[in-house]
Amino acid sequence: MGIREGSAAVEVRELTKRFGDFTAVDRVSFTVGKGEIFGFLGANGAGKTTTIRMLCGLLAPSGGEGSVAGYDIIGEYGKIKGRIGYMSQKFSLYNDLTVGENIEFYGGIYGLTPGEIRDRSGELFAIIGLEELKGKLTASLPMGWKQRLALCAGLIHDPAIIFLDEPTSGVDPLSRRNFWKLIYRLSDMGKTVFVTTHYMDEAEYCHRLSIMKGGRILEMDSPHALKGKYGAQNMQEVFLASLKEGS
Amino acid sequence: MGRIKALVIKEFRQIRRTRAYLGLIFVAPFVQLIVMGSAITNEVKDIPLIVVDGDHSPASREIINRFSALSLFDFRGVADSTVRADRLFDRGEIKAALVIPRGFERDMGRGLSPQIQVLIDGVDGNSAGVSLGYITSMAGEIQKGWIGSRATGAGAEIVPRFYYNPGLESKLNFVPGLIGILLFMITSMLTAINIVREKELGTLEQLMATPLGGIRLIVGKIIPFTVLGLVQFSVGLIAARLVFGIPVAGNLLLLYFMALLFIMSTLGLGIFISTVTSTQQQAMFVAWFSMIFALLLSGFFVPVGNMPPLVQKITLLNPLRYFMSVLREIYLKGTPFRYLLPEAAAMGGMGIGLITAATLRFHRRLE
Repeated sequence: MGIREGSAAVEVRELTKRFGDFTAVDRVSFTVGKGEIFGFLGANGAGKTTTIRMLCGLLAPSGGEGSVAGYDIIGEYGKIKGRIGYMSQKFSLYNDLTVGENIEFYGGIYGLTPGEIRDRSGELFAIIGLEELKGKLTASLPMGWKQRLALCAGLIHDPAIIFLDEPTSGVDPLSRRNFWKLIYRLSDMGKTVFVTTHYMDEAEYCHRLSIMKGGRILEMDSPHALKGKYGAQNMQEVFLASLKEGS
Repeated sequence: MGRIKALVIKEFRQIRRTRAYLGLIFVAPFVQLIVMGSAITNEVKDIPLIVVDGDHSPASREIINRFSALSLFDFRGVADSTVRADRLFDRGEIKAALVIPRGFERDMGRGLSPQIQVLIDGVDGNSAGVSLGYITSMAGEIQKGWIGSRATGAGAEIVPRFYYNPGLESKLNFVPGLIGILLFMITSMLTAINIVREKELGTLEQLMATPLGGIRLIVGKIIPFTVLGLVQFSVGLIAARLVFGIPVAGNLLLLYFMALLFIMSTLGLGIFISTVTSTQQQAMFVAWFSMIFALLLSGFFVPVGNMPPLVQKITLLNPLRYFMSVLREIYLKGTPFRYLLPEAAAMGGMGIGLITAATLRFHRRLE
């Protein structure tokens, strides 16, 4: 299932989420185009996860509006769920199932037939490199492989957009680099990737990125343009300079 | 349907890999029935007793002989004063004492109807009542002997016969009840913990991000745990038969149908608990609390009819109360379905109500 004709992958205006007195996301607006790798850069508590949860239909917004894959995030989140893949911050597949069983389960949950699951998981395992681990208990995998498995589960139904919430936290640098290779591969396949991170080097890999702090977007542009704007050598400098300006 | 099937398959795979479940289903019923079925009894036997003999007459000696010969009593000897009896009560060595006053035989000879005092440890009111019953009937018999030797005219004798449980064996009452309690425990607690565990692990959030939806999710949890409950119920029935030799007097199919209704209500309770708690400890605590509540208000220990009117009304909300009487009715009396309709309706209604409430609480969105 794809994105509705003539719509952006993600489009939000003045999106807000309040928990009691605390405003986690404060009037955020942005648009993500089809096939783009869009990054959210920010410290913990900047509002990245809350934004993603609203986009995935897990959390009702307190204000503003938006659409994902062309469907309204308030009224049509049921339609959104079948068109997106979501990989949460915390590893959340079943440790007491094998790799193959986890994939089979998610395929079933997304309404795929056993035949479709077989074909699709064969394809994905080849790309992601999980084929040999199919029979292994998930609990026995190292973290880097668990994250690839979670990505695989999020892609089983061939979604148009994939939301990755800090997909590489707690993973060694080599696995992180491999994971980003996969992200590029997805982008080449025409998928829209929405990714949050607090790693500066990863921010460089995004096509476009927004810097968040205190629930608000301080900057939003391509890494190249941002570096030019602040006369910075790397994203680290951009990030610190933008935070200083934003506060 | 395919989505629910995927959920059910996944659940069974996880259950198969969790040894504790297998123990709970196949071992727990046997252990619990053997231990509790033998321990829980309201039969009163071997009552430790002394006689305070103030008379030292042939009549008092006869009383002593008769009581010491009866196996219901554990005769601990004769004392001279009630002071000694009090001390033995305080130390917990005796539960009952007969006090025969001085001049007992003489007064009886004069036709004065002298009194024998019975002292009983009343801490456990139930046992005290039963002990008193034994002593009174024993004394009655001794008296009848005396009257019989002197006078002719006799009064009417009452000949009891107990229906459904002729030997008044308490295992016949308790063992079926225990099966119900076990079923309550397994189905409500395991379901609550299972779902809250998914909350804690974050797998529930992952499921919520899929188009699965709350109703399918709940059905996908109900099916495997219903199967689990019915398997455990069967193990309980087999254990009751093998260990205590208690067969089911009534229709087995009816018993299973009632068990199914009962499971609906306990699963509903378990799922509901999972929606109001957020950690496994909380779920465990709430499930325990409701279990104790359900147990004490079920009629398992104390007949519901003996409870104060207000408490009796509260028991109407307790699914275990209905299943407890259904179990005893079908197990011992073989009662047909038409007499169990109110119980069936109550359990089924509660099941539907709780599951609906849980589904409504199971928001598609996390808050």
